[in-house]
Amino acid sequence: MPRSGRMDVAAFAANNVREIHGFKTEAWTLKGAQILNIHYEIDNDTVDDLIPVALRPAIPAYAIFNVTHYPESPVGPFSIGEVRVGSRAAVRPRGFVLRSYVSTEAAANELTRRWGYPAMVGKVYLRAFHDRIVARVTTAAGKEALEMEMIDRDFISGNDVQFISSMHLTRNREDGKLVVVQVDPEWVFQKAERGRPHILKLDSQSWAAGDMLRADYPISASYTIADVTLSPIRYFCDPAQDAFRGTTQVAA
Amino acid sequence: MKFGIFYEISVPRPWDREKEKQVFDNCFEQVQLADELGFDSVWCVEHHFLEEYSHCSAPEIFLTACAMKTKKMRIGHGIVICVPQFNHPIKIAERTATMDIVSGGRLEVGTGRSATWNELGGFRANPDETKMTWDEFVRCIPKMWTQERFGYEGRSWGMPVRAIIPKPYQKPHPPMWVAVTSPGTEIDAAERGLGSLGLTFGSFKEQEDKVKNYRRIIKDCEPVGSFVNDKVSTVNFLFTHEDTETGNKVGRRLLGTFNFMAAQLLAAREAVPTKSYPSLGLLPTLRREAAGPGDAAGVPEGIAIGDPERVLRACKKWESVGVDRVNFLLNALETVPQEQVLNSLRVFAKHVMPHFQDTGAQAAAAGGGR
Repeated sequence: MPRSGRMDVAAFAANNVREIHGFKTEAWTLKGAQILNIHYEIDNDTVDDLIPVALRPAIPAYAIFNVTHYPESPVGPFSIGEVRVGSRAAVRPRGFVLRSYVSTEAAANELTRRWGYPAMVGKVYLRAFHDRIVARVTTAAGKEALEMEMIDRDFISGNDVQFISSMHLTRNREDGKLVVVQVDPEWVFQKAERGRPHILKLDSQSWAAGDMLRADYPISASYTIADVTLSPIRYFCDPAQDAFRGTTQVAA
Repeated sequence: MKFGIFYEISVPRPWDREKEKQVFDNCFEQVQLADELGFDSVWCVEHHFLEEYSHCSAPEIFLTACAMKTKKMRIGHGIVICVPQFNHPIKIAERTATMDIVSGGRLEVGTGRSATWNELGGFRANPDETKMTWDEFVRCIPKMWTQERFGYEGRSWGMPVRAIIPKPYQKPHPPMWVAVTSPGTEIDAAERGLGSLGLTFGSFKEQEDKVKNYRRIIKDCEPVGSFVNDKVSTVNFLFTHEDTETGNKVGRRLLGTFNFMAAQLLAAREAVPTKSYPSLGLLPTLRREAAGPGDAAGVPEGIAIGDPERVLRACKKWESVGVDRVNFLLNALETVPQEQVLNSLRVFAKHVMPHFQDTGAQAAAAGGGR
């Protein structure tokens, strides 16, 4: 039968999960975000251990390496770097976020509190050059977690880009339970480019993946500028049950 | 209205030599029975690397075996991937001509371009190129079949003048089709005089509009082949049983299994930013429509699942919107036991087929009848 996740969520949560403060929050619209997304195939043999039972891995296994700079937000400018494992919630494509590094403590706290981001403070660098877009993520302890670039920039339409919603493993402060929340932003693209992806450095442990995360084969890269709306949470699911059965809609 | 059967050949884990052989043997048994019962055709996909979902990477072999095991059925190569990294056009022309000969002129040739990163990435094919190479291939293949000698210098491939042999048994050549998944491909089909091989469900209204549009455009087509194939096929699931509850329950299981399995694949659109794949392609579309709200029995509109009466209503509705043939997917991951699949084919032939002009006589002769 189709494969599904088999992550030990309790072990994963022990040092990687922070608390969401309930499921009610207002939307944030973050204008002019610069988003570098790089898709790479990852190890098929370990991917099932990188997602909870609620989700199923995409075949072939892949991850989205994302670095975004938000020039304005309710807590000031910030940048975020994260790794999402390509997966499926029932039949829908989703990205399970292993960890997020956020450049300011205020932003990390708000993203966690409102949307369950597994956020830690780190250094996040994103720069657009004429020949390439370069991104780097460094942990608070100074370890280089990720270095990647998109080369051979080529303009495309925002309609050609497809982003998928994220799933965050978090603990609900209201009842202490572990849940996977779905975060489905809306994107309004102002500019879109694509190019060749290149991951120069990837430290699996920095992404809470032990030694299981390896960038095996490049798929694609895009660099977009968009207004991003982080919408209120609509769904969450039980990490221990297939999302087809274990999904709950957040009451309006 | 004609009815065909359609294979992805899905094999559940754990894979061992016996499992794969058993699935293939089951398919052959179904094909033989379907031929006896009056089903018009057997179709088979070309897919690569689609774990569990489709172990059908050499459809020309499978279909040749089907031809050897059947007497009347058309043999549907649905589809051969027209991307040079997958199939060289000369090999397509040679292989299909040979298949037409060994099947005694029963071949139908579907064309297409693949819609998953699993496949495109696996062959290192550029998703931006596939629509263009498909177009080039479908213009060349009929000429390779019909001209004594053929030479070509094109955009994606070329060759000096050579005799491409053998030539097809059917004259001037087998009917050609294109897989219609992305929106607008039915227009491509119509403009080129190709049959529309629908591989998505869509609602009746959506399908009716597409068929009308196709029929309007094909009147003024510029055929790539020596004749126009103006037929419209669609795909559906089939599970029927005299007992309504069994029909619905087993059928829903088939539908659900297929949807879960298809969902795990990585659509080209999800992986690569490109205008070449404006929609998520075959699989998500199949999923969306087949996973609709459903009727009281929980079966989505137009899906041929349930008791024969319900299945007949669905088929009649497809006929009324202008579809010429429905090709049925019979199993997914062997979730339906072989005996039930065979019984479902028999029940369909007995209770549903006789209500359709094209197939009724054949079904009656095969032991069906009202």
